[in-house]
Amino acid sequence: MVERAHGLTFGFPTMHKEAGERRDFLPPLIHLLADLGCEVYVESGIGSRMGYLDQEYLSSSRVRVVDEDTAYRQEVVVVLRAPIGKFEKLRRGATLISMLHFPTRPARVRHLEELGIDAVGLDTIEDDEGRRLVVNSKAVAWNGLEAAFAMLERRWPRLTSPARAPVRVTVMGAGEIGKHAVEAATKYGNAERSDLLMRYGVPGVEVVTIGRNLTCDDTYLLGRLSATDVLVDATKRHDASVPLIRNDWLGRLPPHAVICDLVVDPYLLDADPPTVRGIEGIPQGNLDRFTFDVDDPAWDLLPPGIPTDNRRAVVSCYSWPGVHPNRCMELYGKQLAPLLEMLVERGGIAGVRPDGSFHERAFYRGSLRARLRPVPVGELVGTS
Amino acid sequence: MHKEQAERRDFLPDLMAHLDRIGAGEIVLEAGYGLGMGVPIDAYLEVSDRVRVGSYEECLDQDVVVVLRCPEPGELRRLRPGAVLLSMLHYPTRPDRTALLADLGVRAVSLDAITDRSARRLVENLEAVAWNGVRAAFREIQQRHPHFDHPSRRPLHVTCLGSGGVGSWAAFAATRYGDPQLRESLVASNVPGVEVTVVDFDLTWHEDYMFGRLEQTDLLIDATRRADPSRPVVSNAWLAALPADGVILDLACDPYDLDVVPPVVKGIEGVPHGSLDRYVFPPEDEAYELIDPRIDTTNRRLALSCYSWPGLDPVGSMRTYGEQLEPVLSVVLGKPVEDWGLDGASQVERAVARAEVSRWLSVRTA
Repeated sequence: MVERAHGLTFGFPTMHKEAGERRDFLPPLIHLLADLGCEVYVESGIGSRMGYLDQEYLSSSRVRVVDEDTAYRQEVVVVLRAPIGKFEKLRRGATLISMLHFPTRPARVRHLEELGIDAVGLDTIEDDEGRRLVVNSKAVAWNGLEAAFAMLERRWPRLTSPARAPVRVTVMGAGEIGKHAVEAATKYGNAERSDLLMRYGVPGVEVVTIGRNLTCDDTYLLGRLSATDVLVDATKRHDASVPLIRNDWLGRLPPHAVICDLVVDPYLLDADPPTVRGIEGIPQGNLDRFTFDVDDPAWDLLPPGIPTDNRRAVVSCYSWPGVHPNRCMELYGKQLAPLLEMLVERGGIAGVRPDGSFHERAFYRGSLRARLRPVPVGELVGTS
Repeated sequence: MHKEQAERRDFLPDLMAHLDRIGAGEIVLEAGYGLGMGVPIDAYLEVSDRVRVGSYEECLDQDVVVVLRCPEPGELRRLRPGAVLLSMLHYPTRPDRTALLADLGVRAVSLDAITDRSARRLVENLEAVAWNGVRAAFREIQQRHPHFDHPSRRPLHVTCLGSGGVGSWAAFAATRYGDPQLRESLVASNVPGVEVTVVDFDLTWHEDYMFGRLEQTDLLIDATRRADPSRPVVSNAWLAALPADGVILDLACDPYDLDVVPPVVKGIEGVPHGSLDRYVFPPEDEAYELIDPRIDTTNRRLALSCYSWPGLDPVGSMRTYGEQLEPVLSVVLGKPVEDWGLDGASQVERAVARAEVSRWLSVRTA
């Protein structure tokens, strides 16, 4: 391979979040940047919670293992979740690439501006049609369904019987996550499990997906619940103050049924308007704990006044993609690779043109720069 | 493209601007390029002074030829040995054409074969396949259903075969009648919606289940991607279970080709193969008589099939393809075809290399 010389330096600090958060960017992305001629500084211990050694990142002399502060002092800093409390470690004029959620974090935007950080939100890098380029809604669905079927197998031994009827999954919400949930559900959330059961002649999964025009139809929905082994919430509600499924309706689900919560809205009863969960009376999980049997003490921790009389086993996680950190980071690495290649090619964010190539345009849209200047006229005019 | 009359797609000026940026020496467009979509040739000439208008033959004489749908065999023979052809070539279901390209020494790159390591296509418009097809199907149902927009009707039942790239979009689109505006108006009128049942290959083999499912299906969608295209997923005999007013939507659009080994048949047996000119086939349509007589067409329903569903929205389709093609063309113009690395640093380069015909064939014949 012909290596090109570029001046950019990259820093990859590790995330220091909750214990269950094990994700870091993987060696191939680091190697790619080194192959492009960049100096890459990775924090010592990067990837260690996914089983990687520092040495696996050291593909060439251009990669160095350093402490956290040094990783943050580079020209371009890449870290998956927003490094809250560590923005000051970056130097003025540096580029920070992270899940920064600009639209819902105005205070963060102001803080980054004050620090002179050229930030780029991974979650706001979008193509011309508004589709995110760095996104893992597939993992939300697959990891959630995998956990749901694992729970179902524990509660319903007939799952693996060739004599049983097809498993019945109801997916509420047919949007971006619901779309992936449908595919994941047809494979029991796990391709190996699916292959194994098919090899033994076990009938597969019938997935029924319904959008808002049926989830608001009480008569239909009550009938549907009684014929559901796994109920998946993948909705995006217009009114988050009202549950989609009241707790008393959950009594219609078969006793062995499992509820798979992919939305993971919180309970914010003091907010105006309040936010309640789409399925009333189920606990909320995180990467440390995401499966809840019906006698779990987590139910007792729900806000008082939330009915929980009707309980079914629940799987719920605030960060479903993090359940399988390797797969997650492999995908993010692949999605990020062409963007970083472009960034290197353009010599840094200052060279990224709002009317440049596909990846330039998308990257630019994700940057704070794009939020601070008027939308280019070209973006307001269709091609034809 | 020299295809059916309703095929109006050409790449948009944005792609020519990209070719200019990445150093194309000359960009030859066939006279009339873009006109079918209402894009005047001046729109192309404005983005680069390297763009010029030429004949179809001149276009085929270039070092790199980019055309969405594959030219006919006679036209392929005009390509220069060593020329790069970028097109939808569908290697697995077009073995004869694939062999021809290899024999001619054309360095073809099948756009539908450019995939990442998890087999996800980098150049695709599966969303448009699903939405355009489902929208067309519901329009037919709307015309025929006596109470389509009445609150008293029951929910419509859609069965989607396949849950992959096309299937998941199809399920999504079907919950919205393939038309968000129609959906909003029906929701506002309290008309019950659409229940979409998705089944994949681990259930489509189950004859008892499938008969029961077909009996309660208003719209049957083929969105499968079969490992073995020589066998249908739903045989024509099974279609007898589908209600008489049931509608079949063929999104997979595999052809019938019984003369290749192994043969290729459609996922739902006995459905005509449509194009942008004609994609709605009532049971009495003469198109059924044109199907190879070895294919069973005894049981017929209103069927929709189009080889190029995205072509129903040509500008939207080409905007998407153009964006996806930019990084591919950067690889193609970046280095000689021999140097594209299967283990190169760039994932796009690796993907393009895997889709190049000689490398694709060598993997499969090794």
